[in-house]
Amino acid sequence: MPFSELDTAAVARTLSQIAEQPEDVVDAFFERREDVELPAEDEAPGLRVRREEGFAVRLVREGRTWLATRDTIDGRPFAEALRQVARVLSAASYPEPALCLPPDDAPPAAPELAELPAAVNRALRSHHVGFPVRYTVRRHRRWVQVVGPRLVAPAESESFYSVTADGSWGRWGTLFARLDGGAAETVAAALVGLFRARQAPPPAAFRGVAVLAPSVVAVVLHEAVAHALEADVLAQGGNPEAAVGVALAAPCLDVLDDPGAAPEGVRRTTDDEGTPVLRRWLLRGGVVEQPLADALWAQASPVLVPGAGRRGSRHLPPGPRCSHLELLPGETDEADLLIGADEGYHLGEASRGALDPLSGEFTLHLPYARRIRRGALAETVGPCILRGRVADLLTRVTAVGRPSRPAGAGWCAKGGQKLPVWATAPALRLEGVEIVPGGMPG
Amino acid sequence: MSAVAVTPQETLVALVRRGWPDAEVFLKKGRSRRLELSAFTQTSVFAQEQAWAVRAGHHRGSFFAAGNGEPDPGGPWPEPTGRALRLPEPSLVLPWNEPSDFDAPLIGEREGLRLLESLGRELASELPGARLLAATLEDGSSESEIANSRGLRARTRARVATLYLEAAGPGRPAPTASVYLAMREARKISPPALARRLADRLAIAAQGASPGRDRGEVLLAPAVAIRLLAGLVPLLVGPKAGALISGLRDHRGRIGSERLTLIDNGRLPGGALETPVDGEGVPTREAVLVEQGFFRQPLLAWWQAETAAGHPSGCTRRAGWRDVPQPGPTHLYIKPEAKTPVAALLGSIAQGSYLLDVTGAGHFDLAEGTFALPVCGFAVAAGRASAPIAGAWLCGRIAHFLQGIAAVGRDLTFHPLEGMIGSPTLLVAGLELRG
Repeated sequence: MPFSELDTAAVARTLSQIAEQPEDVVDAFFERREDVELPAEDEAPGLRVRREEGFAVRLVREGRTWLATRDTIDGRPFAEALRQVARVLSAASYPEPALCLPPDDAPPAAPELAELPAAVNRALRSHHVGFPVRYTVRRHRRWVQVVGPRLVAPAESESFYSVTADGSWGRWGTLFARLDGGAAETVAAALVGLFRARQAPPPAAFRGVAVLAPSVVAVVLHEAVAHALEADVLAQGGNPEAAVGVALAAPCLDVLDDPGAAPEGVRRTTDDEGTPVLRRWLLRGGVVEQPLADALWAQASPVLVPGAGRRGSRHLPPGPRCSHLELLPGETDEADLLIGADEGYHLGEASRGALDPLSGEFTLHLPYARRIRRGALAETVGPCILRGRVADLLTRVTAVGRPSRPAGAGWCAKGGQKLPVWATAPALRLEGVEIVPGGMPG
Repeated sequence: MSAVAVTPQETLVALVRRGWPDAEVFLKKGRSRRLELSAFTQTSVFAQEQAWAVRAGHHRGSFFAAGNGEPDPGGPWPEPTGRALRLPEPSLVLPWNEPSDFDAPLIGEREGLRLLESLGRELASELPGARLLAATLEDGSSESEIANSRGLRARTRARVATLYLEAAGPGRPAPTASVYLAMREARKISPPALARRLADRLAIAAQGASPGRDRGEVLLAPAVAIRLLAGLVPLLVGPKAGALISGLRDHRGRIGSERLTLIDNGRLPGGALETPVDGEGVPTREAVLVEQGFFRQPLLAWWQAETAAGHPSGCTRRAGWRDVPQPGPTHLYIKPEAKTPVAALLGSIAQGSYLLDVTGAGHFDLAEGTFALPVCGFAVAAGRASAPIAGAWLCGRIAHFLQGIAAVGRDLTFHPLEGMIGSPTLLVAGLELRG
């Protein structure tokens, strides 16, 4: 852990000098990160390594935030940054804490990256298909230490992988907590699905039953529940507290954000503000219970609880974001979700989703889907869009599948802060939802 | 001109001694101020960055390493893998006068917040009930230095400000609109003009109706023309562009109307990315890609010019120090017609539409040669706006767009997309507006 030698007590003492008012939030955020990238084999340069470290000093007072950041971890820049965020200039200069970190001098290498493309190609052959794909595989590692004037949070670390595959039909990507045979099969299965659906025509407009696979449920939860319940998003429409107690979804939906239950390697005990994370019930029985909040929003409202402050980089202030969403499993076996549907669509893969927080309009783009006929999967259709108002869409859930399982992960780039997000979910059945053709307008 | 404190020479020598004869060192220092305003919060960020990037290798492989602070010549360095690296030779950099606004101080905290607050006030006065949901202003400057083992040495500076605005109109559900701009200096932002643009968008979104099918003339405001041009970048950049675009030629050999001249220029005076050398230290220049409708050449980096017809130009950009340099547009734009005001173009339309902005992501099928872009604007009759249009798609064939350009305005505007993409207002025939 690179921050084990950081003199956090000295940092805390120095920070206490700018916390002049009892309600001030003051902290120092130290981070070290490393990204190792194996590009597609026809690209130069080959292995790509990015290593960086730095810090941010922050003061929050009465809804205003001041942040000063540096690309180094050293005493003098720290004291300079402190001066930049302090609202009252100290008569004497701020002390320079001795900040010394061991150098990151391990040889940059990630041999596991090189094995994935071959493993995926083997898995593709086992599906009896073969086509050219360009893979980019990355390992992302990050170490974080947050220090406040009174509390020092435990140091945290994250390590995970991202995979991007470029084929003639477009780009597909996902995140993995670890690269193993299961990861290769996941990539291969997704590529086979896209390949086989590449020439399928979009469906006609339809309203009826849709069965969503866990990976699609994860995107819906992220866009329609998590983003909709972020304190800063709620504030665009009024008072964030007003959301608490609102019946947003069908009673069968229990949705949590629990960074402590995320896959090993990305599990957290504190957020990027040093606040302990919690098992946060976003929806309990379909009713909003605890929106996502960070220290700034929790300070403004006694109803909001911090612990969901995340930051994409030291150069940007934290914001309320989800980390690991969980939809609790229901009582219907996944295979039984199709039963009784004379007609409908099975949505197995989502490419992106979007929510307009003011109108509540939600769109989910799907590269392909399978038609359901008389309770069984039938032919594949091409690009389509599931759309509706969030409040209406979420009340149309009529069955929650079981079991709940890791449902994929991806990047979320809200506000320019790119963060990994994870999910555990079962499949869902919705009724009376609208599906319209995607791709080029006709 | 101030330079970064360390020189890349020591690192370069160490890399070559390690057995990597092809080596390049890039150093960068920057500072920026970022101001964010929302209905409930104000944020002020002051950031100082110092970083480096190295590309190195031999004939069997190469690597890229980047980090912040200063590079340690001793490494550690990754093992070279993949393909071998190629680096440019030194070449003559044409004289270039550094713009005086490079030395202007970054916008101050209070000055920047006042500017954002005035945008909110102007918007509310243009359209009562409208409000800013979010406003982010970032003003930054940087100095960089590059050297490679072929003897190339270059230094450059940059100055860019960006502004992102998101606004909601009156009513429920409230219509929303956003604007993202880049310019050299934040002080050049005009709050009244931006507020009018946002208010127009919000009013159209609230009151506009979806049109029936219409194949009349369309006047494309810069925001719409720019997004169309951005969608065509793969047809204009790189060695395969020439083959891709050849399918658009008409019987006279033209790919566009005689009003269409397309230029890329990394040293465009006043441009947000104006620089004498690109991200590899290669001199920038003006490259005419399409001249009066005739395709002259694709935009080519020095190494791409060996496999495609055309003169190379310095067009390799580094999106940031963490990014591998990639060829792409610098300031890619449709040449404006200095004598043609937009009002004259609007006045010339008997029946058609004036499309002001794009409302979402478009579809471009370059293989089929078709596009569809969600747009909003006004229906036009006898040279006057007659009714707002929303929920419309501008559809057609790429060839029809390029060859249907009947007139070009003088209001050249750039948007930050893949590089800076620019266009004046265009009067186009042969496209279809669909509801």
